[in-house]
Amino acid sequence: MTEAGSGPTGGQGQTMPLLRARALCKTYGTVQAVRGVNFRLDENSYVTLLGPSGCGKTSILRMIGGFEEVSEGMLELDGKKINDVSASARPINTVFQSYALFPHLSVLENVGFGLRYKGLSRKEEREKARAALETVQMTAMADRRPRQLSGGQQQRVALARAIANEPRLLLLDEPLSALDRRMRKDMQIELKDLQRRLKMTFLHVTHDQEEAFALSDWIIVMRDGIIEQQGAPDTIYRRPETAYVADFIGGAACVPGKITDTAIGAYEIETPLGQFATPGVRGLKAGSPAVLCLRPEQLFLDPQGRISARVTHAVYRGAEWLVEAEAAGITLALTVGHDDVPEIGAEIRIGFDPAQVWIARTEAEQATGAKP
Amino acid sequence: MSLRVGTLLAAPVTAFLLALCVAPLLILFAYSFFRVDFVAISYDPSFANYAKIAGSATYRGLILKAFGSGALVVAITAVIGYPVAWFLAKRAGAMKSALLTLLLVPLYSGDLVRVFAWRVLLGAEGVINRSLIWAGVTDAPIQGLLFSPLATHIALTYNYLPFMVIGLWLAFESLDDAWLEAAADLGARSPSRFARVTLPLTFPGLVAGGLMVFVMVVGDYLTPQLLGGASGITVISAINDLFGTAFDWPLGSAIAWTMLAILMAFFAVGAMLIRRSSLVGGS
Repeated sequence: MTEAGSGPTGGQGQTMPLLRARALCKTYGTVQAVRGVNFRLDENSYVTLLGPSGCGKTSILRMIGGFEEVSEGMLELDGKKINDVSASARPINTVFQSYALFPHLSVLENVGFGLRYKGLSRKEEREKARAALETVQMTAMADRRPRQLSGGQQQRVALARAIANEPRLLLLDEPLSALDRRMRKDMQIELKDLQRRLKMTFLHVTHDQEEAFALSDWIIVMRDGIIEQQGAPDTIYRRPETAYVADFIGGAACVPGKITDTAIGAYEIETPLGQFATPGVRGLKAGSPAVLCLRPEQLFLDPQGRISARVTHAVYRGAEWLVEAEAAGITLALTVGHDDVPEIGAEIRIGFDPAQVWIARTEAEQATGAKP
Repeated sequence: MSLRVGTLLAAPVTAFLLALCVAPLLILFAYSFFRVDFVAISYDPSFANYAKIAGSATYRGLILKAFGSGALVVAITAVIGYPVAWFLAKRAGAMKSALLTLLLVPLYSGDLVRVFAWRVLLGAEGVINRSLIWAGVTDAPIQGLLFSPLATHIALTYNYLPFMVIGLWLAFESLDDAWLEAAADLGARSPSRFARVTLPLTFPGLVAGGLMVFVMVVGDYLTPQLLGGASGITVISAINDLFGTAFDWPLGSAIAWTMLAILMAFFAVGAMLIRRSSLVGGS
């Protein structure tokens, strides 16, 4: 796997990380929710934990927040172990999925709640709370109760409350999942903008890959309690390490095959669709199983194409059509312009540029992931 | 249409309530303005009975004592009830219904049985004294245990604790754990979390449970009578005496109505507090 690290540039962090997780595990009874993950969060970065529900991403967030005990492994903040530090003593704040705004307090009192523990005067408390409300443009609502606000407004207040304490790390637990699509897009832009302005580190949990791409400097893809891959969004998208990542991100068709040659610069892979020479993930050996990842936008109709397929579906997507075709028992999807949509059942030939596609592992290399 | 059917269906119940609950109280209210002439009641309305209550240190003292007892038992049941209710709502899990039933079992056993059970426990020859003597803590039985305000208040607390727990338990059921997590996240330690989140958000349950306990303690006749000894004279026993041996129904009615008026004032304040808290009522 690639070196773990994050930063605005997406490169590997050279300085001491803000937070480091070492072989982190969470067990509920006999269920292993998190199985030894390693990652680091750098200062001033936006990191997403991405994965389907039940993959352990929320457990990781709750351990960092201090709401769940670490079963095994270590969490370090600024180089110090924080496993046994209580939630109230961690310089970490959370935007909860349900927002968890206090219903008996006004918006301003909600935002000022944590400032009581900062040794400020009541006047300073109010000023700081107002300033935090200002950052999310909610000053007009200061005297309202949370239930008098819309979902989007509540979400802003929850955000203001979490940043008012000026935490070292802000945790966001699926913060946009309750908003409608339009509002979600707006909030994504605002979240990213806020992170840049505050220069705070945000750790955002989501199951939505579009959201992860829109926000992140660094994405950690999870599955069944382990990290499948972590890296800059561009790396995750263009160079997926496993079939799972290729499929989960961008819906690539993963054609199973076997590596036949590992010449410099490219692999040669034998698949039911033929033999191809393309680049791929490092470390594959001749004879090992692998998958050829073909994304819909990398495939095109081509009379001279090497793949012969039969059209099974065609779905209108506005900007283009998504055509599904079957070749040697494998379903491929490709995007096609409005004028070129083939009939269902038609025989077509599909081509792609071997230099643009990618070979990934069938499974993650090791359950423990990369050593940071 | 449906409104009219509903009204029609509710009519018998309303009539029943009016006849059996409100009418007797109104009769008492009327009596409270009359007075006794030797052995007959003279139907000659005046405020004399109320003036008598206001002017009598004894009656004022008894009324004050009743409300004092009520407040004390509410405070004790609240302190015991909070952890119990929290456990029932948040930690009991599958045992919840079993534990709730267990909590209510004493209520099925009847007032007298419970009172006599306390006599067995607290008496000079009772379980507690015997154990203390056997253990060598004291040589002679502690006399103050039974027939004292202490005995009365122990039994009152025991009797009415379930009502406080039920009120608080309901409030804890609707207390989202995320609020407490958010408070901890923002830096609040446990005592601060209780004061700033748990207490205000379970307050309606505290008021509801507290009012129930308060009313029942103020109106309890048997417990002080049978466990309080010389201290067992209460405003309720005074009303009983006035209606019985003393044959002064008008004064008894006036005391009863004074108590009722004060209790209703407490209820009004309680209802207002619940409405003002954020859990109930709109905005």
